[in-house]
Amino acid sequence: MANEACRHSWTMTNIRFGFIVVEKCYHCKQERSYFVAEHTPPKEEYREGEHFWDYLGSAQSLQFSLKCDRCGLEVPYDDVLGLMMCSGCTPDCDAHIVSRICEAQKTWVYVALCYRPDIVSKDEMGERLAILSTYFSSRMRTPDKKIVVVPGWFVKDIDMCKGTVLKDVGMFEVEPQEVSQ
Amino acid sequence: MTVAELEAKLGLKALNALYGKEIAGVFVSDMVSDVMAGAKPGSLWVTTQAHKNVVAAANLVDISGVIVTRGKTVSSETLEMADRAEITIFSTALKTYDLVGELHKLGL
Repeated sequence: MANEACRHSWTMTNIRFGFIVVEKCYHCKQERSYFVAEHTPPKEEYREGEHFWDYLGSAQSLQFSLKCDRCGLEVPYDDVLGLMMCSGCTPDCDAHIVSRICEAQKTWVYVALCYRPDIVSKDEMGERLAILSTYFSSRMRTPDKKIVVVPGWFVKDIDMCKGTVLKDVGMFEVEPQEVSQ
Repeated sequence: MTVAELEAKLGLKALNALYGKEIAGVFVSDMVSDVMAGAKPGSLWVTTQAHKNVVAAANLVDISGVIVTRGKTVSSETLEMADRAEITIFSTALKTYDLVGELHKLGL
């Protein structure tokens, strides 16, 4: 993927704002999430094979790509639903272990939550997340501060995880400010 | 101007420890996704949001400080997280529009 001769300089590009939608199947009780770049989240239930998907909730988020200003290489993150800041909640979770190792180096661990981790190889995902880590770390003004983005499969139990997901919840319920004349 | 100097000039009250980071500009938004996509490192973030996501996003893009407007309260959990990230959070009773006017007068 990477052009070995280029010392990449990454810029966020192709930014799409939209929604992370969570749905659940009536029949098998499976839950899944996906990203949709629409103005409002689709709330209609629908059938897909044996599944009957029902809307559970949504949060506003974004998708993006990174592009090298020097060689033009573009790295998409279409499969990344969002980023989650590791809280260090579970001692034997791999994300927490990385976080502890990096703690003394002012390095913060974020987890990339993907909605189809099974269709991307671990090597490819690792390479793309290394680029994402480089992008965020290169923008730091605080001396020595770094960001490391690890894949979702590092999290031991996502249902028990207390990490903070970067998403906008309840924005449609925010009341407009009163206009003073 | 640093975050500490801003506190003195605007009479703000820091809700957690005061970290003297240099302010590189001002970013106004109530959406963490906006901040991820558009905020420049070192920006002072003005928002009405006061939940934990604010700190997670601010840390990711190296925000210098956060001002929560309209007198919103900030939980102790959020403030503890901000201290770990060394990001000062202020609260003001001013509306966002009025605060931004004050920041503009200061040359930010």
